Parts: sequence; C-alpha cells; structure tokens
Amino acid sequence: MAEVVIEKLSKSFGSVEVLKDIDLTVGDGAFVVLVGPSGCGKSTLLRSIAGLEDVSGGAITIGGRKVNDLAPAQREIAMVFQSYALYPHMDVAANMGFGLKFAGIPKAEIAARVSEAARILQLEPLLKRRPRELSGGQRQRVAIGRAIVRKPQVFLFDEPLSNLDAALRINTRVEIAKLHKLLAATIVYVTHDQVEAMTLADKIVVMNQGRIEQQGKPLDLYYRPANLFVAGFIGSPAMNFLKGEVVAGGTGLGADGRIAIALPPGATPGMKVTLGIRPEHMSIAVGGGDLHLAATVELVERLGETGFAHLRLASGTVVIAEIRGETGLKTGDRTHVALDPAHLHLFGADGRRLG
Amino acid sequence: MPQGAYLRLLLFFLGPAVLVYSLFSIYPLLATIINSLYSRQNDGAYLWEGLGNFRTLLLDPTWSVPFWNALRNNFIFFLIHMCVQNPIGLLLAALLSLPRLRFRATYRTLIFMPTMLSVVVIGFVWQLILSPLWGIARMFLNFFGLGFLFAPWLGVESSALITVSLISVWQFVGIPMILIYTALLAIPDELIDAATVDGLNQFQAFVWVKLPLIWPTIGLVSILTFVNNFNAFDLIYAMKGALAGPNFSTDIMGTLFYRTFFGNQLQLGNPSMGSAIATMMLIVILTGVMVYLFLVQRRIQRYSF
Amino acid sequence: MRKPLSAFAVHAILGLYTLLALFPIVLVVMNSFKAKRAIFNTPLRPPTPSNFDPIGYARVFDDSALPFYYLNSITVTAGAIFFTLLFGAMAAWALTEYKFRFNTLLALFLSIGIMVPIRLGSVAIIQLVAELNLINTLTALILVYTAQNLPLAIFILSEFIAQIPKDLREAARCDGLTEYNIFFHIILPLIRPAMATVAVFTMIPVWNDLWFPLLLAPAGGKQTITLGVQQFLGQYITDWNAVLAALSAAIVPVLLLYVIFSRQLIRGLTSGAVK
Repeated sequence: MAEVVIEKLSKSFGSVEVLKDIDLTVGDGAFVVLVGPSGCGKSTLLRSIAGLEDVSGGAITIGGRKVNDLAPAQREIAMVFQSYALYPHMDVAANMGFGLKFAGIPKAEIAARVSEAARILQLEPLLKRRPRELSGGQRQRVAIGRAIVRKPQVFLFDEPLSNLDAALRINTRVEIAKLHKLLAATIVYVTHDQVEAMTLADKIVVMNQGRIEQQGKPLDLYYRPANLFVAGFIGSPAMNFLKGEVVAGGTGLGADGRIAIALPPGATPGMKVTLGIRPEHMSIAVGGGDLHLAATVELVERLGETGFAHLRLASGTVVIAEIRGETGLKTGDRTHVALDPAHLHLFGADGRRLG
Repeated sequence: MPQGAYLRLLLFFLGPAVLVYSLFSIYPLLATIINSLYSRQNDGAYLWEGLGNFRTLLLDPTWSVPFWNALRNNFIFFLIHMCVQNPIGLLLAALLSLPRLRFRATYRTLIFMPTMLSVVVIGFVWQLILSPLWGIARMFLNFFGLGFLFAPWLGVESSALITVSLISVWQFVGIPMILIYTALLAIPDELIDAATVDGLNQFQAFVWVKLPLIWPTIGLVSILTFVNNFNAFDLIYAMKGALAGPNFSTDIMGTLFYRTFFGNQLQLGNPSMGSAIATMMLIVILTGVMVYLFLVQRRIQRYSF
Repeated sequence: MRKPLSAFAVHAILGLYTLLALFPIVLVVMNSFKAKRAIFNTPLRPPTPSNFDPIGYARVFDDSALPFYYLNSITVTAGAIFFTLLFGAMAAWALTEYKFRFNTLLALFLSIGIMVPIRLGSVAIIQLVAELNLINTLTALILVYTAQNLPLAIFILSEFIAQIPKDLREAARCDGLTEYNIFFHIILPLIRPAMATVAVFTMIPVWNDLWFPLLLAPAGGKQTITLGVQQFLGQYITDWNAVLAALSAAIVPVLLLYVIFSRQLIRGLTSGAVK
C-alpha cells in the first residue's frame, strides 16, 4: 500500500474551474472520505486520481511516483464504480480476472488471485454466474473483488453504496470497514452520505464548489467546523444558525435579546457574526436565563426516546432542538430553549470560525 | 362497461388499422400466393395448376435460367452489402461514438445525407459520374496514376452487378451506422471507464467490451439488410431499366418479378408466373427471417444496462 | 486520450468518408448551373458568372409538370403519415390498454408486416386497386403506404404507450373522462415524441418510393416527384443540362429540409431505433 499526495491540483472544463488548488495527503493505509453536495468536484477529484480525467495543473503522486501522465492501468489503482460497471457478457470469474489478463499475468496466477478474492468476499458459489443473475449486493461484492485481485496500491470507491437499499447499505458499510482492516488498504472513498463518511473515515475531506472546505478527523469536523459550510454540512439535523452582532460581553441577537458568552479574541463589538449550535446541544428550559431564548413550539417530532422540537424564536427564526423523554410539549406552547455554552460556535461575516 | 359498449370501443380503436392493413397488406400477400397456384387462360378464365407454375419456374429452362440467375445475383448483391456496407457502418459508428469527438453532429448529419435521397436520383447521379462521356471517374483515377484501370463498369457484364451493389452500399451505409451508433451510445460510460482502469486501450475496449454488447444490433442490421436486399428494385430499375442489363447481369428478384408481371419488349405480362416469383421471394425472405429468429437471435445474449 | 495522432486519424477517416458522401451530390448540383461546355471541360469547378447557364432548369420547368409532382408527393406523404399515426396510435392504445380475447394473436397478426414487405403482394394490390377504380389516384398510394407503415408504427407506439404510468389513466377515469376522451386528450399529446419518430420512419421511404407510383399511378398527372423525375430523365437522357437540373431539383428541397430538421430526425432515428 502507498501514500497518495495531491499538490495544487486544478482542473477546468473550458472556463469552468471544477477543481481549484486541491492539496490533500492520503496516508499509507488511511481511509479518506470525500464528501460534499453534488457537483462539488469530489467525483472529479477521484477520477483524476484514477487517471480517467486529465488535470489542468498540479501533481498527483502515488507511492512516491508522479502519475500525472500515466494511464489508469499503470497507476496501480483499482476503482469500484457507482453502477458497479460489471461487464454484462462475462461471468463473475471473468469479470474479476479481465484486467489481469490484459496485464499479461499468467493464467494460473489469475485463477489463484480470483479464488482468493472470491473466498474473502464469499463469492465462491457465484463464480460462473453472469452479473444479471446476481442481486445488487452480490454485484457490489464482485465489483470490490475485481478491485482486490489487482493488488492495487490504492482503492478508489465512487459512491459504491448509493444503488443499494437501506438495510444492505448498512451491512455493506460494515463489510467495507472490515475489508479495510483486513487488507490494510489505502482507500479514497466518495460519498454524499455523511453517515458513511463519519463511520468509515480516518479523515473526512469536505468539498464545495471545487475547493476543500476542511479536512480532518470525523469528530474534529463535528466539534470544530472551520466554517459555516462544514458546520451546516456535517450533522443531522443540521446545525442551527442565529444571526447577530458582537456586543460587550456577549452577542446581540436582535429581537431574541442578547446572550452572554465568552468572546474569542478578535471579536470586537459591532462585528456581524453567526452563532451556531447543534440540536443536541439545545434543551427545553423553564423560564428565562442568561443563555435562554423565548420560543413558540411549531412542531414536535418524536422518534421514540428522543425527538425534535421545531421552535420559532421571537425574531422569527426557526430552530430545531433535541428533546428526550416525555416533555409534554405540543404545538403552540410558549417555552424557552437553553443553549449549552460549551458547544456554541461563532462564525465571522466571511463564514470562518472565530476562535 | 356493458359488453356492447366495450365492443364498440374496440371496433372504433382497432377497426381502421385492421381494415386498411388486412385489405392492402395481408389480403394481397395471400391472394398472390393463391394466384401462383393458377394460370390465366386466353379467355380470361383461371385454371388450377397446383405447384405447376413453380415446376415451370424451377425446371423449365426458359424460366429457370433467368430465375436462378436473378437469385444468384441477389445473393451477391446481399453479400456485398454484408461485407462492405455493414463493416463500414460499424467502423463509422465506432468512430462517431468516441468520447469527446469534435464535429460529431456534423459528420453524422453529412454521412447520413445520401440515405435521405431517392434511389432513383442516386442511381442517376452515379450513372453520370461513371459515364465515360463525362469522364469524372477516369479523371480521378488519372490523378492517382491509375487511369488504365478505368472501364465503363456499369456497361460491362462482369462488373455491372458489383458496381450497382457498391452504389447501393454508398447510399445506405447510414442505416447500419445510425443503428449501431445508437447501440454504442447505450453502453454506460462507467463500463468503458472500468475497462480503462483494467488497462484496455480504446481499440481493445471496443473489441472486448463494446462489440460483444452490440451483437444483437449487428444481428438486427443483418436481417434488415437481407430483407431490404431481397426486396430491392428501384436502383437497378432506375440505372439499368427493367431488362437489368447488360445481358441480365444485374437482374435481381425484384426486376425479374416486375418484368414477368408487366411484360416488356421480350415477353407478355404473366400475373400467374409473377405471383409465383413473388411467392418464391416471400419464401426466401421468410427463410432468412426464420433463420434469424430461431438460430441467430436465440444465441445472442441481450443486455440491459 | 492525449493522443493527437490517433485523433487526427479519426478525423481523417470521418472527413474522407464525409467527402465521399457529399462529392456526387455537390458535383451534380454545381454543374446543373453551368453551360454544356463547362460541364464537360471543367466539371470539378464551381459555376462562374461567365459559364453560368440555367437552361437546364428552364427546360425542366417548361417541359414537365414537376411542380405538380411535388404537390403529389407532399399529398401522398402527408396523407400516409397522418393515417399511419392516427390509426396506428388508436390500435396501439387498444392493444396495450384493453384486455380481450385474441389480443396477443391480433398483435402478432399486425406485426407480420414488419418483416414481410408488402411489395410482394403487388399483383393482388393492382387488381384490388383496379377493382376499386383507384388506378392513377393518390388515394390508392396513401392507402397502400398506410398499410405498409402501420405494423412498425403500432409496434413503436405500443412500447411507448405501455410506459405511460397506469395511474394517469386511472386518474382520468376517476375524473369521469370517457375512454375516447382519455385517448384523444391525454394519451395522444403524451406520445407526441414517439409519433415524431414514426413520422420519420414513414416519411423517407414513402417520399422516395418508385415501385408503387410506377405500379399504381404511373400517369395522368398523378406521378410523384420520384417517378416524375425518373420519367423525365428517361426522356431527356442525352440533354445533360436538363438531366443535371432535374436531379438537382429533386435533391435540393429534400436536402434543405434535411439540414433544417436533421437534429430532430437523427434524434428520432436514434431514440426509436428498433431494439
């Protein structure tokens, strides 16, 4: 396995820049997940690593070797596609061994590698089947098997779970995590599903409009989002945002009053800021208080032990707060919501985190 | 819905199509087959012949020599289309479907252009170009230093059929091209990406991945070529007339049928023998279709993506 | 990727073939405007003011009924398309929507014509048309072409109608529409793209056909343009100006229409291609 280093990578289609100045290091044996909304460039970045897209500038290095001008097959990568892209006219064994045949690997070696991969993925009884005779989950495993037999330096996954139903998706997610440990593989994995990203990744890379917004360990991104975009993208339901202005000793929130919080250095009175807080860090409170805001209940969603209350604040902003147990709240109730000061995020006018 | 209303409904929707189709397509086909079993007497009465007309057609030298000649020519006509038109169509479609090809629409539109024009017009245009009087063809050969190769190909027995076939190929290459092009476009891009990652170059990806996936279309193109070729008439009639000269060297089933039925300078029209020839054409075409349906199509695996 | 040489080869092949496809057409149209001497002396040069001579066109439009033949062709083609689409869509709707005995059998019966060319029944068609007193009428041609094109039309339209969500028809029934209204006001507008495809498949062979005009309407001013040009060419075979002008007159309008509509046409061909 090898390290992947991407430096100053850029790509444009005509005048449209789809990747801008990407710097990214994927450590040896690391599991890196690229997330972002559709059209953010994450798939293009993955395909550039694979060599399926030409890049306009910058360098891609795999295992210390610059691969910019190498064909995909020479980059020692393997790719698992969203639609699996199995060859419909070949059986499972032929699908897995097809690339090896063109690499000039002896037949006996191909057979050995295919049966090894089939054993790992429990595909042995299916080797003589055609793709259309397989279920979605089985096709997915064949696609992974086709990647394994190549013994690549890096595995590339392009939204591999998006065509599976919900139950199978969770299963396969666990399988992929196990496989990562078993093969000690370097993996770059693209998804738009943040649950996949949070559960699988050693490192998450959040992309937006062709740029990397933030990269880091999943919980770092969760607890210390670098900007409004990442704050809003990671976490479900999304973080609540309240617009305000820095005042002496706290933040003024207009009609919602002012709350006293410790201001980070650089926050000067008069500055426009956005206050962010996750639903799980808000709670229903009785009466007013320093970090309490008055609210009217709009809707209560119960999921069982936990649930969410949609609350309209005095300013008209609607926030979502997590509730636990039996609260007795119902639509139209007037109440207060308390903010946990340890988990308040403050963002400047440019969207960047303050402090 | 009451029974009567339902019946009226079906009659309204199906009636016109079934009526026109039965009257002008199925009835004439059946009547032609029946016609072929009778002969018309001088007094206008029809006499039951059984398979007599076919015996005459296949065994009596006056009839069988032209018949076998036309059938043989028709097979050559078909083989030239299979060996020239369809491979060129495949090549053009393969090139047109290459990713990120510039001027794709322009090439496609212009190459398909001759297919739009009437066979009569095309036949005449080529007759002029190949004519020794105008000398365009000779001029071109001279340019490449090959002037000695020039001959009035259309007027020479040994080359007339091949020339006519190639003109037809030139006109209709657009049809296999478009059909195969469509089939190639239906192949998902990710499959070709997978082949690229597997180390195949564009040519290998075509041979090992795309081609196996478009066999059903190539099968379809072949049977369409077969049916159209054994039904051909216009081009030869336009270029060589009903007599399909020189010396019947371009005579195919369609021209033989026309000549037999309508008559010409050499013979009187004979509806019964015309029907017999049409029936033989029907048998040839149906045999081809059956071979395709039961032998070819069943062995070709179809894929949905 | 990144191989300029192979890209060059691809464009070279496609470009050469495009030239081969265009050359004969351009040659004929170009020379139709030249004086006879120039046609023979400099056939590969475009017309110049000094050798420009429209005598061929004068002869074509004086001596023949070409404009009328155009009108005949337009009538026949439009008529055939109209009835093929109307009757074909109606039958396709009934076959896909209503379950009745012999449904499958009827569908099979209607599909015979996809593979068996109607030309083979010509002997009986002539007799039939003669009995109906329709020889040398455009009606006969329209009826025959409608019969010829119905099978493929029904096949394509059925596939398309089957894809229309069942909910839509059920909703219409709940709204109280009659079956006739459902077809004419809901189904017909929805299958317009498929009808365009069928129109393309119908139009080209009908416009270009020589066989049935030759058999059913060879005279009496009811010739189609294809037959008319064929007869004209036979008559003026030695008059090169007239021949080239007649050919151009047959080619140019079709090509103009083709260039204008080529995008839709190719899309129709590629979307409706028989699978």
